[in-house]
Amino acid sequence: MPSRRRTLLKVIILGDSGVGKTSLMNQYVNKKFSNQYKATIGADFLTKEVQFEDRLFTLQIWDTAGQERFQSLGVAFYRGADCCVLVYDVNSMKSFENLNNWREEFLIQASPSDPENFPFVLIGNKVDVDGGNSRVVSEKKAKAWCASKGNIPYFETSAKEGTNVEEAFQCIAKNALKSGEEEELYLPDTIDVGTSNQQRSTGCEC
Amino acid sequence: MATSDSSSSPSSSGTEFADPNPSTDPETNSERVQSQLESMNLSQPSEVSDGSHTEFSGGDDDDNDVASANGNEGGVSNGGLVSEGVAGISGEEEIEVSLRAENPVEMEAGEEPPSPTSSGYDGERGSSGGATSTYKADDVSEDEIREANVDGDTASQHEAAWLPGKRHVDEDDASMSWRKRKKHFFILSNSGKPIYSRYGDEHKLAGFSATLQAIISFVENGGDRVNLIKAGKHQVVFLVKGPIYLVCISCTDETYEYLRGQLDLLYGQMILILTKSIDRCFEKNAKFDMTPLLGGTDAVFSSLVHSFSWNPATFLHAYTCLPLPYALRQATGTILQDVCASGVLFSLLMCRHKVVSLAGAQKASLHPDDLLLLSNFVMSSESFRQVLNILSIRTSESFSPICLPRYNAQAFLHAYVHFFDDDTYVILLTTRSDAFHHLKDCRVRIETVLLKSNILSVVQRSIAEGGMRVEDLPIDRRRRSSTANQGQDTAVPEVSVGTGGPCGLWHFMYRSIYLDQYINSEFSPPVTSHRQQKSLYRAYQKLYASMHVKGLGPHKTQYRRDENYTLLCWVTPDFELYAAFDPLADKAMAIKICNQVCQRVKDVENEVFLQGASPFSW
Repeated sequence: MPSRRRTLLKVIILGDSGVGKTSLMNQYVNKKFSNQYKATIGADFLTKEVQFEDRLFTLQIWDTAGQERFQSLGVAFYRGADCCVLVYDVNSMKSFENLNNWREEFLIQASPSDPENFPFVLIGNKVDVDGGNSRVVSEKKAKAWCASKGNIPYFETSAKEGTNVEEAFQCIAKNALKSGEEEELYLPDTIDVGTSNQQRSTGCEC
Repeated sequence: MATSDSSSSPSSSGTEFADPNPSTDPETNSERVQSQLESMNLSQPSEVSDGSHTEFSGGDDDDNDVASANGNEGGVSNGGLVSEGVAGISGEEEIEVSLRAENPVEMEAGEEPPSPTSSGYDGERGSSGGATSTYKADDVSEDEIREANVDGDTASQHEAAWLPGKRHVDEDDASMSWRKRKKHFFILSNSGKPIYSRYGDEHKLAGFSATLQAIISFVENGGDRVNLIKAGKHQVVFLVKGPIYLVCISCTDETYEYLRGQLDLLYGQMILILTKSIDRCFEKNAKFDMTPLLGGTDAVFSSLVHSFSWNPATFLHAYTCLPLPYALRQATGTILQDVCASGVLFSLLMCRHKVVSLAGAQKASLHPDDLLLLSNFVMSSESFRQVLNILSIRTSESFSPICLPRYNAQAFLHAYVHFFDDDTYVILLTTRSDAFHHLKDCRVRIETVLLKSNILSVVQRSIAEGGMRVEDLPIDRRRRSSTANQGQDTAVPEVSVGTGGPCGLWHFMYRSIYLDQYINSEFSPPVTSHRQQKSLYRAYQKLYASMHVKGLGPHKTQYRRDENYTLLCWVTPDFELYAAFDPLADKAMAIKICNQVCQRVKDVENEVFLQGASPFSW
């Protein structure tokens, strides 16, 4: 093969509508921010190539719609995710309280093989708003929630100012990569006549 | 950490699904799908910020051809899968859809206005002119423009001159050139991870791949299945094989049936390389990434895709033999049969894509599609051929796991492959992974017989001579001139003299149903260029499809005339004949000629067909 093996990681971004999922993604991929709110319909896809510890891999980012009416799309969209990013707005208690629902819904619909250790990352967004004065969810509270869910990594970001976005996604990539490493082995059968041996012999050229 | 933004793509504004009405009532289902599909906006890539992708450089002539040919089409070149209607196949799958070609949905204030992409696109829209000129230009630029230009004029050349491997890897769904390609093939997993794309880099197309999965899964969620989306001149054909999704996006005007058949073969080729045990990997782990398992097989897939436009075996589902004296083929068959008696499942002597002879163990039968995929795999993998040792002596023998999807898709066989010369090779298939040395011995036995009877040089001569030629059909000249005298139009005899065979016969294909074999005549003037040959095959494919429509009862003959050809098809329980004549050919004479062609084929059937190959008589 001409190049080293590249890995593709599917990353799902979940959270209430308006918490800034699309803005985070746009800030990360396109380094852009818009104050205008446009609701995502269904899902939106972006890809970004990243390098991590001398390995090249591609993030396939699924930015989903936060509105409840899109929840029925879950199974189709969540299948085969390598990492799930939960986003809430530090200025909205409701969006924080809903995190449990998002997490559980994801685990039910995606049904990952090892739900206990499935990599989540939590992002508290919009820390820039009103100089932090309108903030209602404390960092302490968020961290406590993360600890209770098996030490989910936590980042506080501002998609508007680009604060911490790169760091958060770097962690997302790292965790997604980690979970991808215990891949199932591909063990094809050989047509069986008597002895059963399961192996894929490599081509032999004498 | 980040190195580059690889894409934003149509994905940047993405597929947007609305599900305002999650009803599951089957009666309203198709309506629901309609309304839902309507709200999918696969919009223009106008948010693409990476100028290097969208800036269409005029350096590449071929691509410019494509661009002007297709500039004003909807669908993919319009920045997304924009559908005007979905034709379902059977009732329950029928979905009427009308997708709107919406312009940038999520253009944000202050962002770059109409990107280079859309402005370039507008320019092309202007240049493509009226419908007629578009159609003509379109006809000229087939989906492989590059090949059409590079290739020589004869059939053998166009097989040989084709360059293996994936091209245009630098493209992605934001590149205008990528969007203009006439035929795309994609393989992806049901979680939306890309596995194969004919053009462009799979990873850069991850967003596009996700879009395709979203469409398929979305319809599946409603308990339905999407088979085809029509978008202007584009057809988007879907095939779901368990956890594997296959998609073809084409504006080549091929039939839906044939495009779906091509996806089937593409899937078969993947199974040949990996077996269906990949399904288990996805069952255990939905995020399974298959791409590494297919490493280095781009050439196999691209060669198969190429064969869709030149190899009739891909739609006739039959194989073809190299013409050989009966006794020689028999002698070869005998030694291959002997080898099979020693525990080999199938033994085949092949010359390029044609069969010299083959044999199978008792009760083992080989499907023509397996034969096609197997020979494609061997012919397109460089490593099977020309392995030279230090003394430059050919020692090309290989032992490789191979799965025959129609024989047993679940498990591997093991294939011993040896090339006697550049064209002729033997394939021995066994169930035993430790049989290498036995198969090597078998090969030596086969080689001895081949050398003794000098078959290899006869094979080389046969390649050089080619197959049947319409000019050589033994039809007496008087009949021909009598046509001229009856001639309604003086142009008829003139066209038939020197171009093609008698009475304007240009080409024919004969498929023996009982033998699962076909022969086709060599291409003769005026069907000389690759483009003309491809277009003739496409005409045959349509004819074939129209004769094999399920539920329409057995058709026996079809006579069809258009500005390009007079086509005649004749289907009997024993054989099918497809013949192409000059568009001005006389109908009565054409029918007469077809009878003579069939007679001629029967006269030489011992030389052009492999007779009595027991594994095939099923």
